[in-house]
Amino acid sequence: MKISVTVNGHLYERNVEDHWTLLRFLRESVGLTGTKEGCAAGECGACTVALNGKTVNSCLVLAAEADGGAVDTIEGEAHDGELSSIQAAFTRNHAVQCGFCTGGMIMSIKDLLRRNPKPSVDEIKAAIEGNFCRCTGYVQIIEAVLDASGQLTPATKGELEYV
Amino acid sequence: MTAVFAYRSPTQRTELLSLLADSGEQARVMAGGTDLLIDMRNGVAHPELVVNLKNVEGFSAMSWSDTEGLIIRPGVTVNDVLFDARIREDYPLLIACARDLASHQIRNRATVIGNVVNASPCSDMAPALLCLGARAVISSKAGQRVVPFTEFFKGVKRTVLRPGEILEEVIVPATAAAGRGAYCKLKRIKGHDLGIVGVAVMRQNGSLRLGISSCAPTPVLVADLSSTAPVDTIVAAARGAVNPIDDLRCTREYREHMVEVFVRRVLKEVA
Repeated sequence: MKISVTVNGHLYERNVEDHWTLLRFLRESVGLTGTKEGCAAGECGACTVALNGKTVNSCLVLAAEADGGAVDTIEGEAHDGELSSIQAAFTRNHAVQCGFCTGGMIMSIKDLLRRNPKPSVDEIKAAIEGNFCRCTGYVQIIEAVLDASGQLTPATKGELEYV
Repeated sequence: MTAVFAYRSPTQRTELLSLLADSGEQARVMAGGTDLLIDMRNGVAHPELVVNLKNVEGFSAMSWSDTEGLIIRPGVTVNDVLFDARIREDYPLLIACARDLASHQIRNRATVIGNVVNASPCSDMAPALLCLGARAVISSKAGQRVVPFTEFFKGVKRTVLRPGEILEEVIVPATAAAGRGAYCKLKRIKGHDLGIVGVAVMRQNGSLRLGISSCAPTPVLVADLSSTAPVDTIVAAARGAVNPIDDLRCTREYREHMVEVFVRRVLKEVA
């Protein structure tokens, strides 16, 4: 079937199979590979994108369901070679190691900061409960979110307890 | 996705019900898709036709009626419920159970109706709907029937729904709006794991109802308890109503023990 989807502000009209997921459409048809397939079961969150303004696991959405909709992916974060404020905070706080979870993680955090510009540590943990990181560690990621929301001070940095 | 299937997305209710009547058991309806797509990937479900419910006109709306109460339709997501100010006020038990369901991304997609139609023993929404005395409005091309949730579940992943039928409305009675509720759920990891034990309680007008998940082939309701009954009596009623299994998450004995722990805990919360 033919679908029309706006991805990061650009309209794509493509033929897809009925059984394709949104994730497969983004990676194989549009060519945006920043959105990753981890578990393919809605658990790890590496495939997180925003569909019509709401974060979803793109492995659990059919491409056909996005027809007529708008998708934001990690590739829409940086502009003209400039990292977004969340991306920049991730680099400053060593919140990226292998990077596999980072795209989905940032999409969840962007959604959190839109809803809640000054989240507490507990609110940050709740917002990324659907995003697994298996190598960087959550402390640096939480520090990056505190930084991106203007809440990281020299006094609080390094003070986070076991997460 | 390795499975191959055709996809339809009707926009009119009559079109949907005719399509389902014609397709029989080859078709599966999809609301959020967060269970169905995983089942298809795992080869547990292999429909030839997937019918999206979300674009049917009116199916994504909740509505309120002074006489009926809250009406939830097939496209209403768990987050739609969680962020609704009036539900927060009138049915805090629905909020307590919705909050514990999976992760934010899943809740943006998963629907309340899908969660009960899937009929998993560990459904998070079923204990709340059982406690609240909710009813299921079931529709097909032939007509409608209304079934209380106490009669809706028939076994693991089995309900009273027949081919061609959908659960079109969940009605949460207005009379349940004044009650107090609480929910406790045990799971290994917040965010994605299946529940190990879930206990919901509803206290209203001197009576208590318990909704228990993951401890029998279906979610269990323990009704007709007095809110002045001794805690030990209520615990005994709960333990007598469940029939848990051993599995990779824990043993039967541990589940029985945690039912008791959680019953005592939720009773304190609504004391």
